[in-house]
Amino acid sequence: MKAKAWLALFAVIVISGVAPAMAHHAATMFDTTKVIEIKGTVKELQWTNPHIWIQIFVEKADGAREEWSIEGGGPNSLSRQGWRPTTFKPGEVVTLRVNPMRDGSTAGLFVGAKFSNATTLGRWDPQP
Amino acid sequence: MFAGLVVGLAAHYMAYGQRSATPLPDWSGVWQMVGPTVFDSTTVEPPNGRAGEPGVRERPPYTDEWEARYRKNIEGIRSGVFPDPVNTCGTPHGFPRVMNLPDVYEFVVRPEQVWILGENGPNILRIYTDGRKHPAPEDLWPTYTGDSVGHWEGDTLVFDTIGTKGARDSDVIVDRTGLVLSDQLHTVTRMRKIDEMTIEAQMVLEDSRALKSPWRITKRYRKLPADTRVFDYSCAENNRNPVTSSGRTLTLGPDGKPVDKVVD
Repeated sequence: MKAKAWLALFAVIVISGVAPAMAHHAATMFDTTKVIEIKGTVKELQWTNPHIWIQIFVEKADGAREEWSIEGGGPNSLSRQGWRPTTFKPGEVVTLRVNPMRDGSTAGLFVGAKFSNATTLGRWDPQP
Repeated sequence: MFAGLVVGLAAHYMAYGQRSATPLPDWSGVWQMVGPTVFDSTTVEPPNGRAGEPGVRERPPYTDEWEARYRKNIEGIRSGVFPDPVNTCGTPHGFPRVMNLPDVYEFVVRPEQVWILGENGPNILRIYTDGRKHPAPEDLWPTYTGDSVGHWEGDTLVFDTIGTKGARDSDVIVDRTGLVLSDQLHTVTRMRKIDEMTIEAQMVLEDSRALKSPWRITKRYRKLPADTRVFDYSCAENNRNPVTSSGRTLTLGPDGKPVDKVVD
C-alpha cells in the first residue's frame, strides 16, 4: 500500500466475526485484517444489486484527484439496516473506513462512514 | 348425489395427501437465518470463522477422498482462486445451500406444497405435500435444488430431498468454506415453528459417496418485524465482480475495467 498523506492506516486488527456479509461473492480480494481511512467527495452511490458501490473522489498528496470504488453489502439487507439510496449524496464530503484491496489498488470494502455533521454509519469503533 | 359428494370429498383429500384434521401451521411473515452462512456452525474452525475467510473450515464426516477435495477447495480460497459459483449471477444456490442463505426468507404453507422463498438468489425450494412420491429414476435428473416431497406430522413438515447435482459440474457449493457434496445426497428435513419467533429445520444428510456417516445440521430462522419488505435480488444488475478463467474474482472500477493489479 502506498504511503499517502490522506491515507491513514489506523488499525490492523479487526474482529473477523463482525465482517460485513457479502451476499454475492467472498471478500478475498480485500484485506479484512486492515482498515484504512479515506476522506473525499462523493461522486455517487450506486444503489444496485448484488452490491452497492460508493464512488468517491479522493485528493492525493500532489493535489491530483483519484476516484475510489468502495463496495458494500446488498441494498436489500442494507435498507433493513436503515440505508437509503440518498444515504450518500453527490458532492458530500465524507470520511470512509474500508478494508483495502490486498494489492493496494483504488477500491475497498465498506466498514464505516463519518459525515460532515459528525454522524456515523456502520462500524466506527474502535477509534483510531 | 350424497354418495357423489362423499366420493368427491374423498378424492379431494386424497389429492392433498393423508392430511389430518390438524390445521396447517402459520409460517407467514419474513424470516432471517440465525447466524452467518457457515453451514455447520457446530464444527466450524476457528469457532467464529466466517465462510469465505481464508482457512475457515467445518468437519463434515467426509470420506478421505472428499476430505481431500474439501482441502483443495480451502487452499483455493486461501489463494483467491476458488470463486463462489453464484458469482456468475446465473445459477441457483441449490440444495442444501438454499437453507443457508443471507438476506431474508418467506415460508409459504399451502395444502399441496410448501415454498421456501429466498430473497437472495433468488432461490425457490418447492416441497410437494400432495402425496406424490419422488419421480422414478428414469424420470429424475440431477438439478441444483433436486426434488423434495414431504408430509405433515402435526405441526412439523417432514421432507425428503434427492436428485441434486452436488459438485458434479463444479457449479454448486454448500457454503463458501468450499464445502461440497455429491449427487448421491439424500436429506431428510424436519421443520417446525419452535416458538412464535423461530422456525427450526433439523436436517439429516446422507451421501453414500461423500460422507461416511449421516451429517446432522440444525438451522434456525428468526421472524423479522411485520412491516419488513422483500425486494428483488437482481444479481446481474450491476455485477462489478467478474471471475477470470483462473478463478480470480476481480473488482471493476467505474469505467468497467478491473482496478486489480493482477488480472489473470
